[in-house]
Amino acid sequence: MAKFPGIKGIFLDENPLTEQSSKGVSGIGIPDCGLKKSDLRKDGSAYIDSKYIRKNPPALPEVSEPAVVRHFTRLSSWNMCVDTVFYPLGSCTMKYNPKINEKIASLENIKNLHPLTPANLIQPVLKIVDEFNNILCGLTGLAEFSFAPQAGAAGEFAGLKVIKKYFELKGENRKTILVPDSSHGTNPASSVLAGFTPAEIKTGKAGTLDAEELKKFISKDVAGIMITNPNTFGVFEKDIKKIAEIMHKNGSFVYMDGANFNAFLGNVKVSDMGIDLIQLNLHKTFSTPHGGGGPGSGALGVVESLREFLPVPYVKKTAGSNIADINAGKKTSSVDKNSDKKFRGANFVYELSDDRKNSIGKMTPFLCNFAVLIRAYAYLLSLGRDNIGSVSEIAVLNANYVKKKLGKILPGSDPFEEGTCMHECVFSDKSIEESGISTVELAKLLIDYGFHPPTVYFPKNIHGAIMIEPTETESVRTLDNFIKAVRQIKFKTKKSKAVKSPQKTKVGRVNEVLANKQPIFKY
Amino acid sequence: MNNFRYFPNSKKDIAKLYRFLGIKDKKELFKKILGDIPLISGGDLSGILSDGIDENALLRLFSDIDSAVPSKNKTAVFSGGGIYNHFVPSVIDSLLSRSEFYTPYTPYQPEVSQGTLFALFEFQSFIAEILSMDVVNASMYDGAESLAEAVLTALRLSSANSGMPANHKDDTVLVSEGINPSYFSVIKTFTGGTGVKIEKIKLNAETGRTEISDLKQKLSDENGRVPAVVIQQPNYYGVIEDLESLEKIIHSGCDSNSKLNSDHSSKSSLEHNSSEHTPTFIVSSAEPYSFGIINPPGFYNADIFAGEGNSFGNYMNFGGPLLGLFAAKKEYVRQMPGRIVGKTKDGNNKDAYAFILSTREQHIRRGAATSNICTNSSLNAVRAAIYLSLCSKSGFKDIALLNLKLAHILRDKLLETGLFEPLYGGDFFNEFSLKFKTNVNKHNNKTAAPDFIEKMAARDIIAGIALSDNAVLISATENISLSDIEKYVKNAKEVLNG
Repeated sequence: MAKFPGIKGIFLDENPLTEQSSKGVSGIGIPDCGLKKSDLRKDGSAYIDSKYIRKNPPALPEVSEPAVVRHFTRLSSWNMCVDTVFYPLGSCTMKYNPKINEKIASLENIKNLHPLTPANLIQPVLKIVDEFNNILCGLTGLAEFSFAPQAGAAGEFAGLKVIKKYFELKGENRKTILVPDSSHGTNPASSVLAGFTPAEIKTGKAGTLDAEELKKFISKDVAGIMITNPNTFGVFEKDIKKIAEIMHKNGSFVYMDGANFNAFLGNVKVSDMGIDLIQLNLHKTFSTPHGGGGPGSGALGVVESLREFLPVPYVKKTAGSNIADINAGKKTSSVDKNSDKKFRGANFVYELSDDRKNSIGKMTPFLCNFAVLIRAYAYLLSLGRDNIGSVSEIAVLNANYVKKKLGKILPGSDPFEEGTCMHECVFSDKSIEESGISTVELAKLLIDYGFHPPTVYFPKNIHGAIMIEPTETESVRTLDNFIKAVRQIKFKTKKSKAVKSPQKTKVGRVNEVLANKQPIFKY
Repeated sequence: MNNFRYFPNSKKDIAKLYRFLGIKDKKELFKKILGDIPLISGGDLSGILSDGIDENALLRLFSDIDSAVPSKNKTAVFSGGGIYNHFVPSVIDSLLSRSEFYTPYTPYQPEVSQGTLFALFEFQSFIAEILSMDVVNASMYDGAESLAEAVLTALRLSSANSGMPANHKDDTVLVSEGINPSYFSVIKTFTGGTGVKIEKIKLNAETGRTEISDLKQKLSDENGRVPAVVIQQPNYYGVIEDLESLEKIIHSGCDSNSKLNSDHSSKSSLEHNSSEHTPTFIVSSAEPYSFGIINPPGFYNADIFAGEGNSFGNYMNFGGPLLGLFAAKKEYVRQMPGRIVGKTKDGNNKDAYAFILSTREQHIRRGAATSNICTNSSLNAVRAAIYLSLCSKSGFKDIALLNLKLAHILRDKLLETGLFEPLYGGDFFNEFSLKFKTNVNKHNNKTAAPDFIEKMAARDIIAGIALSDNAVLISATENISLSDIEKYVKNAKEVLNG
């Protein structure tokens, strides 16, 4: 009998903080900042016109520090997370978030650094950005990365803007972006935001794009294609090189949605597939925590011909004698590749530069989500050249193990039965339906076994889709346990129990219809 | 050889997996999947990535970097310009070190995400209270992106009102020159695809407030529609805007437009439509801490607020991640971008929280979504929720007041030196702009501001941001003390007289 994690924990109830308020209680100490008593006594109207002064300060809760700590600690216990459960959420790459990276991102001086600190004082920080860029270029075969996009969707948007700008400069007005119907919802949404019209291409049984089908959509109006590879079924796009060839022949670009890059990390360069642009979700493949919805980073990489369009500012590296010369705008020699290899750092000067005439502009007020980037950089240094290739290898092995084993329990549900998937696998609800269980019920039942559900009902073109991404940081033992839970659910669960699940969580099945009918947005 | 520490499968497990799949090794596995696409060989990465290192070595490497940048304890930071040096209570780091907060994904399964959802609901509630606005979403990336999305929201509202397709070639969005220049640039990036024109409203040269006559002029000059007017509060130069007067003109924008139309009765029906649309009044702020002292955007009937929330419990982190705030009047909720948490019930009629109105979003609506945003700044929003829980009603006001005082004391002392004069005379909160008196410029005989900042930095004072060759933007928060201010003044004198 398998021992499942289950849920047997303690759930403590907790009222909203506003209901715990007592007048005059506070959880923060107010400093005096060394001010004189006479200054401390003054009120706002001593400094500014009283017509601006707020009469009723915001009614924040009045609670003590221990009350706040207990409140949020209790709240936290109502969450499932990567550190407590197997979290096989497809397309989200919920891998382990190394603790050392949290510590590094929390180093006192770095986390307190103002982004507009003079460049001569922050050379090592700018160098991190430059070196991280070098590694990503090496891993993808692309020419340069911009870290301005704050998340995957922002990376897509920036990439599409880059394409747009390229054609504008060429005097061409191409309006169409091709998007497979199995793509993430962000793809068509980003296309529209960038001023394109997305055209959906029908995909095959395993969500794959057929080069012949693609040809029907080709015209001089096509600026590019957004292709997720491996696609949202976890299947490698076999025709990718042919697709790239067709696109390039038409003068169009191939944008790869890099949400699934964990399938390739350290083993495959996307440049070898003919990819021109990609966004890498640092909060997926590169182990930075997802934070319960963010923050992330959607680093955008491009080929040489598109570099000039990347967002500003960027970190510019120059071989020069000293920072003062840079500041004074003195001419310096260009970077010598050989001296770069020989020596890391001494005579190179880094600065934030807006000097990019054809840039799409700014995406964010400063440089990038630096605290995310530094975690991802530390992750790559930890792995190193010798381990990085194991990431995608084990991720692919784990996914195929689940695919094959679950495939036997869920016959007829694998749309890609004979093939080898990459980092994730997808099943339809065909087999569980026969047992009278729907996909949503399977998801909620898994919770009571102590697992986070897989991604469900996506991709849309699989009926009742169940999308499982185990990642490389899970053991075969955990996978076996999960598979056993699915088997028990399929063979032993009564419908009456299924509709009521989950039963062991803080709250039962949430009424989302009511939530939408009478929306309550705040206290 | 042992496994790499993040991989739980042993070499034996991996061999077992290969056997189970009937595949010989890695080469065969990828060959089977990829066909003729080559694999990276170890040599390919030489020169860009060394062999992996242990945790101790890694920490040493980054600690060395940390000690090579300005020390938090020795350096006084007076730079603002969109991100402010506020104190972060240790409760926040302690609570945020809980994996339950930082390692889950977006709460798409509400039953196992009540902690994050409840915390975000409280975040929305506290921010709504601070801004006096109806609906706040669960965060955007940062103030600039949030503002750009607010402009896009206003464009959608203007189309919905007049039933026009989403082509905005005849539209002009008016943006005050007092907006943070980076925000302005991000608006341009985001609206590029819509064809809308973005035009600036001048600042009054004396007060630094948005020039009312220029706003009036521009509203009546526009032949097409004006879907939105954007004002930053306090503005980039630190000046508190007279939102009351601005709002009156903006929300009667239709009057000036319709007058224009009746003067030219032969106008096409397209332009006639413009008379029916009132510009959306968008207020932005990079420092909502100011709303502890000054009236919030809701007080002035703002339609949308979009700004930066990093000041609440978040570190500066060299500029990111930040915390985009987005709020609107109730009636615009269905056009809002981003996720919104709502309160509902579970099957047993117990209070529960879930994302609501998600039919606005990309994962349902795809190309017709209100925004492409998916991942946002959830964890930063949770930090803000904790911070604001600690603050209390009076504490929030007291800290805001402290900011106001410190900034005024610093400015007065700097003016007393006779080396500076105000760039603008308008009231300010915790940030202000000064220019160098002409004698300083002559003396230095070059770009005074960048030079001043660099020399002050060498003395452990991050003195502000150069607005031009001759002007500096300076802020003061509760995280600095009177002795820091005295140090600033003393060193400024030495640097500029020396």
